[in-house]
Formats: sequence, structure tokens, C-alpha cells
Amino acid sequence: MAANPSGGRRSRRARSASSRPNSFYLILGAIALVGVGGLAYVALKPEAAIAPPADLPADLAELGPPQPYVRGDPNAPVQIHEFADFECPSCARFAVITEPDVRTRIIDAGRANLSYYDLPLPQHLHSYPASHAAACADEQGRFWEMHDRIYEAQDSWSTGRTNNPKNRFRDMARTVGLNLSQWEECYDSKKYQRRIDANHAEAIRQGINSTPSFIVNGQVLRGAISFDALNEAVTKAAAATQSGDTAR
Amino acid sequence: MNKRRTVAALALAGIFVALYLTLTRVGLIGGGALVCAVGSCEVVNASRWATFVGLPVAVWGLGYYLVTFAVAGVSLQERFGDSMQVSRALVFLGATGFLFSAWLTYLELFVIRAICQWCVVSALLATGIFVASLLDYRELQRLAKTQV
Repeated sequence: MAANPSGGRRSRRARSASSRPNSFYLILGAIALVGVGGLAYVALKPEAAIAPPADLPADLAELGPPQPYVRGDPNAPVQIHEFADFECPSCARFAVITEPDVRTRIIDAGRANLSYYDLPLPQHLHSYPASHAAACADEQGRFWEMHDRIYEAQDSWSTGRTNNPKNRFRDMARTVGLNLSQWEECYDSKKYQRRIDANHAEAIRQGINSTPSFIVNGQVLRGAISFDALNEAVTKAAAATQSGDTAR
Repeated sequence: MNKRRTVAALALAGIFVALYLTLTRVGLIGGGALVCAVGSCEVVNASRWATFVGLPVAVWGLGYYLVTFAVAGVSLQERFGDSMQVSRALVFLGATGFLFSAWLTYLELFVIRAICQWCVVSALLATGIFVASLLDYRELQRLAKTQV
């Protein structure tokens, strides 16, 4: 070690340590290189294809066509397909904050209809029960009321909050005004498992791997998108449909 | 000094891990909207425990590693070579990161029931920082005793 140019006190460790500053900076440089390279790779790599989950049949066609829950005019010029998971916080954010505007200004205005597809993610333990609860409300014509309740109260029934979400769903079914015994029988029987799976299969067919995701006339929008983003997609799709009609 | 270098190197690695998790969280990488996506990291990163005092945990982690890296950098200056205060600061940072990581790992295992491999890497780095800072502190204590 060279003499301390400042002439001041040298640390005891500096004198005793077998320090090799150059190799240390090389190690830091290597870590930085790997870090920057790794981030660049992740940012630039194409999205991986998704494999069908184990609980669905290998041949998705076995499940038959999807049976989404449709809101709005079935003959509306534009179709919005929403793929969502009842236990997904972003889906709840969309349902609670954005969807009321979407209903008033797009669906009820007749500009588009919205089809809701179940996409229960395996990590969310109560997603399937929630999908069953909603499907059984649909049986009594109250899917959307139940859908809204389930999302609004997501915090009260999601994984980690309760081990028995059925009690919460039953309370919601009561509030929504369902015939409770009919709803409960339906919920316990899981009779709509195939419908949920068929909706899930449609997500896989469309290459959807995150929730919520929307498809508006072929355009895929991912995440809890804003009203403006969805509105713009609907406007664009309507214009495309109209110009197509005129051309014919 | 080598222990402090270890702290600096681990903290630098931690900066990149936390940066990755932060960028994923805000949607700048990984497809733009990985919230609730299929994959445990997204589940963990989108859970309600992914936010702490109004900020994403990944951002806290990034701040933690940046501060630790800076303090480790300072501790490597020759004039701070014997500084017990700097050594204590490193132990304090190490302990904070270790305890916070332990809490997050508990949440992943028993509450969220999803394990994000990058959170595990971060927890291991924080543990390494804690151990290295403790060893540094002990070495300094020993050196101080032998000098008396």
C-alpha cells in the first residue's frame, strides 16, 4: 500500500486488509452489466405463450362454445369482450370505478354491448366460488347485480380474508333479492362449472393471460384501463364498422 | 473491508431486483399490464400487501438498496474504515431489510400463498447484507480490542 497522501490517520483495517480494489470494481461492474442486461432482456422479449391450466381438458373444444354474460343491446354495432377474475384487485378497480361510466355512456347509449368471460386465476383460491355465485345469480336473471356486489366487497371474501366465502356470497345473494334456497342449491352443486370453464377456455384461445383484458373488435386492451381508453377503442371500432358497411 | 464490499455488491444486485419489481409494478415492463396476470410474482405484486405506507413495496425496496449501497460506498472510504458509527448504520440497515423481508416472506407463504421468486432473491440479498454487516461490526469490535 502506498503512503497516505493526506498524511492523516490510516485506518487499522486499511493497513491490515488484503484489499484488491480493482477486482472489487470488476465485480460491481459485472453485477451492473448482468442487471442492465437482464432488465433490457425482460423489457424486449416477446410475451410467452400460455399453457392451458391442468383443470381444463386438453382439447378445449370439448367444453363447447363460451357462454359469456352479455349486457346491452345484442345487436349493438361494437362488441366489448371482458376477461376478468372476480378476485383480481385490478378487475375490481375497473368494475367499481370505471364500469359505471362505461354502462351509462357506452352500453346504455347503445354504442356497444359487453360480454363478461370468467378467467379464474389459479392463485386466487376464491375465484371459482365467486364465479359460481355469479353464475347462480344469472340463473335468476341477476348476474350484473351480483357481479357488482362481488367486486364491491372483494375485500370481505378474498383469499386471506376468509376461508369460507360462501357465507359472504349468501349475504350478497340475499341483498340482491335472489331466491336463497335456489341460489344455495345451485352454488353447492357447482352446476355451472362447464360454463365457467368454457369462458376460461375462450380466454386461452384468444391468448389472454392477464386480467382484466378487453377485446374490442380485435383490439386487445390489457389492465384496468380508463374510461377514455375504452371509449376511444369503441369509437374507433364503430367508425371501422360503419366504413365497412358503407363500402358494401 | 471485504465484508463492506460484500454489502455494497449485494446492495447493487438488490437495486436491480427492486428496479425490476418496480418497473413490473408500474407496468413499464412485462407486457404493460401484468396486474393479476398468471404468475406468482404478479399475484404478489398486485396483492394488497404490495403497498406499504402509500408506496409500492418494490419502491421501498429500491430506496432501501440505494441507501444501503450509498452507505456501503461511504464505509469503503479509507477515513471511515474504523468508524463504528458507519458500521452501526450498516447493521441497522441490514436488520431493517432483513426483518422487513422476513415479514414479506411470511405474507407470501401463509397469507397470499404465492411465492414470487424475485421477492425470494431480494430476501436472500437482504439476509446476506445483514450477515455481512454484522460480521463487519464484530470484526471492528475485535480490532478495537486488540488495539487497546
